[in-house]
Amino acid sequence: MSLLTRIAMILSFLGHYPSYILAYIIETLIVIIFGTVVVAGMVYFFRKYMARVQMRIGPNRVGKFGVLQVMADGLKLIQKESIMPQGRDDLPYKVAPLLIFIALMMGFIFIPYGPLAWLGTLTVTHSDVSLVILFALIAIMPIGELLSGIVSNNKYAVLGSLRGVAKDISFEVPMMLSVLAIVMMASARGVSPLDINGVVQAQNIPFAILEPLGFFVFLISMAARASYSPFDMGESDSELVTGNTTEYSGLRFGMFYLGLFGTIFLGSLILSTLYLGGYNGPFESYVGFIWLLIKTLVVVVISLTIWLSMPRVRIDKFVTFGWKYLLPISFINLVITGFIILGGIS
Amino acid sequence: MESNLTNKYIELNMGPQHPSTHGVLRLKLTLDGETVKKVEPVIGYLHRNAEKICELDFYCDALIYFDRMDYVGAMNMELGYLEAAEKLLNIEPPERVKWIRVIMAELNRIASHLVWAGAFGLDLGMLTPFFYVFEEREKILNLFTEITGSRQETNYMSIGGVYQDFNDKIIFKIKEFLNEFPKKLDEVYNLFVKNDVFISRTKNIGILEPEVALSYGVTGPMLRASGIPYDVRKDEPYLVYDKINFTVPISKKKDVLARFIVRFEEMRQSVKIIQQALDKLPDGPFFNPKAKKSLMIRLRGEGDVYARTESTKGEFGVYIVGDGSVKPYRVHVRSPAFKNLSVLPYLSRDVLIADMVAISGSIDLVFGEVDR
Repeated sequence: MSLLTRIAMILSFLGHYPSYILAYIIETLIVIIFGTVVVAGMVYFFRKYMARVQMRIGPNRVGKFGVLQVMADGLKLIQKESIMPQGRDDLPYKVAPLLIFIALMMGFIFIPYGPLAWLGTLTVTHSDVSLVILFALIAIMPIGELLSGIVSNNKYAVLGSLRGVAKDISFEVPMMLSVLAIVMMASARGVSPLDINGVVQAQNIPFAILEPLGFFVFLISMAARASYSPFDMGESDSELVTGNTTEYSGLRFGMFYLGLFGTIFLGSLILSTLYLGGYNGPFESYVGFIWLLIKTLVVVVISLTIWLSMPRVRIDKFVTFGWKYLLPISFINLVITGFIILGGIS
Repeated sequence: MESNLTNKYIELNMGPQHPSTHGVLRLKLTLDGETVKKVEPVIGYLHRNAEKICELDFYCDALIYFDRMDYVGAMNMELGYLEAAEKLLNIEPPERVKWIRVIMAELNRIASHLVWAGAFGLDLGMLTPFFYVFEEREKILNLFTEITGSRQETNYMSIGGVYQDFNDKIIFKIKEFLNEFPKKLDEVYNLFVKNDVFISRTKNIGILEPEVALSYGVTGPMLRASGIPYDVRKDEPYLVYDKINFTVPISKKKDVLARFIVRFEEMRQSVKIIQQALDKLPDGPFFNPKAKKSLMIRLRGEGDVYARTESTKGEFGVYIVGDGSVKPYRVHVRSPAFKNLSVLPYLSRDVLIADMVAISGSIDLVFGEVDR
């Protein structure tokens, strides 16, 4: 039984349809709150981890072990005056951070979280095309990045957003091609291939083992999407001040900041769903959600370690890398996938 | 006059408050998209008139202004001034003092190069090594605190001597540090050099031909990375450098990476120098009785003298003119960082912004010294 039906049963005094609609809204809220809490937790975890790597202590003043530091910082950002540049294009300036943040939060809805004990499956949306919608949402984020740069009336911001867009274009095509390989694999197994849930069910063997090349391309793409070092060209914080977010302050800056960490988490979640078997685990999938979280956390730690140990790649080199290496690799991956399907290994 | 409407270049103003311009450098960039067409460094934001103030004080008082020139390598600044002032005032420091000065100057050279490595990492977007190098630097500064009573602007050396003598405990502590340090240095070095992204950001970037370097007056690690083994410590030895066995690291690669490697090799050589100096440290007084505190302000100098030393940035020259009174008539400083900065516009023609930042990071600028 899924969480949705469980909530709907509690609300059944409202009648059939209203109860289901309300249950759906409640579940969506739960997932969005889950996303926000996890992202805030990740900021704390990141700061602690970063501090340990750099031989520091990290936040330890607010709350026990500094766990409330993120909350304090959030409150501070909300209280702060939002200083806005003169000569900005007002509407896009205000919409840009929202665009990134909302697209990110909506992304969490389409992930199949799997079953958790008696609560049942936590998957919110059972759509036949959830994979397509998810990547459409991810494709919205560069628009926010571009808008924020070109409307803030700042040369650093323009340069930053141009770099960001150049980066986005060069990794997104290989990323979609590697996703295409997954869809091929899933459809060969007879599940509905555009549904992420179907992709997860198709992974008796995780796709990372069957398609190591695709996994590699997707890992890099997700790192580039989240734009942390070495792929933080949009931000380039020692060259272009902070790139496209230079003119943002207060809560709007907070949205970009959460967007960064949220994208790391969402990216890791998608990576473990599409390539590492999602909620499938060695034991009966009674606690699939826990498996998913463990896998995600491992990917997150890997991402953060990459972040902390790399200098920034120069933008022209990344564009070259994207078109000259990632794209051919993802094509080769497609061909190999075709052979795997023909050979019937899947 | 060129109209703004037909101008296809972007004018970008980097600094004086900008994360990648060390201190208060301001760069006027002319950009064609991402490509830098022209760089015009604007300096003077940290000008404190140090040379002029030196003329208003006794010979012994000028040291604190020299401390604040290259505040990252303050010992080398003091040394540079004293080399000139002692020559002018005819005061020879005792033998033990010379060795102590060598030790302190080389310790400070290590500290300065470490700071440079950390800041250079930050320029390239590498955050973590910064903390590793500062941990090591902190150990050196703790030694300084113990010896001199202060961390950075130590005011340790004085005319004809040093402020305090070394004792056995200090020598033991320095030796202990030197035993640990090369291992840590290799760790940091590998963190940079074994990273392919770092190599791709620095290799073949900012190539400085030796002829150009000489014509701009570039000295120090910048010049040695271009393949010219010029080091004042070797070519015109002062203090006791001629009694110490060390090599001058050079590189033929001429690029940013070569400057990085040369600086790290210099730190290893500094460790060697300090170890030898500690072993050979003679006994004796730690100041010249002619220049003890009560007599110091009565010292009179006449004539003019120029002395050069190898500071952390390059050849540091001090020119002093004395008119027979207790105060110098004129003090002039040849600042190596200023001369090295002058080559930045040449190196940054038609490179990307990211490379320009790497190049300006590789120069090792300290603005206290450039602006004085």
